[in-house]
Amino acid sequence: MKKIAFSIAKSRTKFLLLLFVIELIVLSLISPYFFSVNNLMQVTQFGASLTLLSLGEALVMIAGRDGIDISVGSAMSLSGVIFGLVVIKGGSILMATVITLLTGAVLGMINGLLVAVAKVPALIATLGTQYIYGSLALYLTGGIPISGFPDGFKVLSLESTLGIPNQILFVIVPVSILVFILVYKMKFGRRVYLMGTNPEAAKFTGIREKKIRSSVYILTGVLAAVSAIINNSWLMTARADAGNGMEMQAITVAVLGGIGVAGGIGHLGGVLIGVIIITMMNSGLQIANVNSVWQLATLGFILIIAIILNQLMSRYVASVEKNME
Amino acid sequence: MLKKYVPKPGRREYVTFLLLVVEIILFGILAPNFLTVDNLIRVVQNNAEIAMVSIGMTIVMLLGGIDLSVGSVMGVIAIVIGYMLQAKVNIFIIVAVAILIGIGVGFINGFLVAKFNIPDMIVTIATMNIWKAVIFALLGGKWLTGLNPSWGAVTRARVLGIPVLLLLIIAVYALFYYFLMYRRFGRYIYATGCNPHSANLSGINVKKIRLVSYCISGGIAAFAAMLYIARMGSVEMTIGSDLPIACIAAVTIGGTGAKGNGKRGSVIGTLAGVLFIAFLKNGIVILGIPSLLENCFIGTLIVLSVLFDAVTANGRFKKSKEAA
Repeated sequence: MKKIAFSIAKSRTKFLLLLFVIELIVLSLISPYFFSVNNLMQVTQFGASLTLLSLGEALVMIAGRDGIDISVGSAMSLSGVIFGLVVIKGGSILMATVITLLTGAVLGMINGLLVAVAKVPALIATLGTQYIYGSLALYLTGGIPISGFPDGFKVLSLESTLGIPNQILFVIVPVSILVFILVYKMKFGRRVYLMGTNPEAAKFTGIREKKIRSSVYILTGVLAAVSAIINNSWLMTARADAGNGMEMQAITVAVLGGIGVAGGIGHLGGVLIGVIIITMMNSGLQIANVNSVWQLATLGFILIIAIILNQLMSRYVASVEKNME
Repeated sequence: MLKKYVPKPGRREYVTFLLLVVEIILFGILAPNFLTVDNLIRVVQNNAEIAMVSIGMTIVMLLGGIDLSVGSVMGVIAIVIGYMLQAKVNIFIIVAVAILIGIGVGFINGFLVAKFNIPDMIVTIATMNIWKAVIFALLGGKWLTGLNPSWGAVTRARVLGIPVLLLLIIAVYALFYYFLMYRRFGRYIYATGCNPHSANLSGINVKKIRLVSYCISGGIAAFAAMLYIARMGSVEMTIGSDLPIACIAAVTIGGTGAKGNGKRGSVIGTLAGVLFIAFLKNGIVILGIPSLLENCFIGTLIVLSVLFDAVTANGRFKKSKEAA
């Protein structure tokens, strides 16, 4: 028993999987409809945008120096609005996509320049840009959601292939794989981790901190833009408040997934399981007809408990390992 | 006799005051309705809660923390006050209960931050959402209206033409300025903010300081809730949702850098920051600029203000240039 407890405490992934199983059991007890393959597949589309935002948020946090990006939500809103505007002004979907991705990159680059080059504390810098992006999105739409996308645009998020929602199969999975390759199979990822664990060492190994850190923020911006496009297709409207509150969820997911706030700690795999857990919980609570305010409160509780657990577990692991020596 | 030595943190407030004066002159020229006594007093009245809560936020941010939950905390307390007013509870009991709730709620934040060493932002984001849900549960979708607390008459009164509210705000700011600059507790806060490790080694109970700072923040939120009820006479669901960001903006523009910069900033700077943003919002409306862009201006100001700090802080800019 003790051995099992130790192995679960040591591996975040095992712990999250355990949590996931418990959640599935609880939710299927609440509602018998919940535990069907069809429903489970449909539920995944609720987590589509959140997945990409959380991956970006996790990377920013891993890169260290109190990295955090509060502007992801409004970056998503703004790039979604720009996508809508381009389509409404007569641009093709392809053109709109390119422009939106560029917008995302620029929004991320502004954060990156502020944080990496000007050395502004990430929290305050992205708080400021959150204000700016959100307000620009509102101004551009005048507060009215943009609708009137061509019917073909539905293909992206409102239809399924082989029972799997299209946006999961054709966007989330490939993009996640690309991010994983970038982070775990290429130099870029090692550098990001090293910058997070030991900034001094990173400096002396010749890592160009400004460049890498800015690229992390740019990547986060691009991921926010991609999730904006998916979200637009899902709602068939571009709303200026599409990303409101998403930053909070993304941070929660990242922390739940085991990403250390101090940087350098955690694996993106945990983040993915974290997304699934949160998405399941949200839809479970929705099925149980619980108001969305309570969902956020539950998120809050989970967040605090997850961090306390993080600490207790690492303390436990450390003490067991000490005993073994 | 030697004058008592009072160490002063870095003077950044002058910049904000300079900006404030420039702003007032600029708006005064551009908008003729701006520089009227009525308008200026209205601006101060509408921003009384922000001014109050910003004091607590300044203290928390001097320690390198941040308190995003103040808005929802203020909401919860306002609702409790509202229900007690409807039940005709004795006014002193109401005030006492409100402040106790505020301190208690702040204690929860502080306890999680100091005891479990959880990052401030994560704790307060989480508690913010929990309190939002509590607001929802307490109100159940309806509004509390027709609240007329007896302290409302006091805050609306005028002494020699000056609103009591304004005097009250100035008094509270003066009190906290005195405590932060000239009392031991205030010095401890600056010391801890500058360098928690050496503060700890020099015998300051860093954890206690952190905890107390959140209690102060919560207690002041209770005070702000009372002002809110006196001003609005009603409570609704979205109460306080913009408050934390507005206060962080004011504190930042006032020169208290987030993340361990107890080196500079004071409540006086914060007051200048609060007034700066308040007049900016007012001026934007008077000049007829679309109000949807209001947050864009404030965001830009936050960014410019921290950029200014980053560029001037200890020649950090120079150093990073050499490294590149």
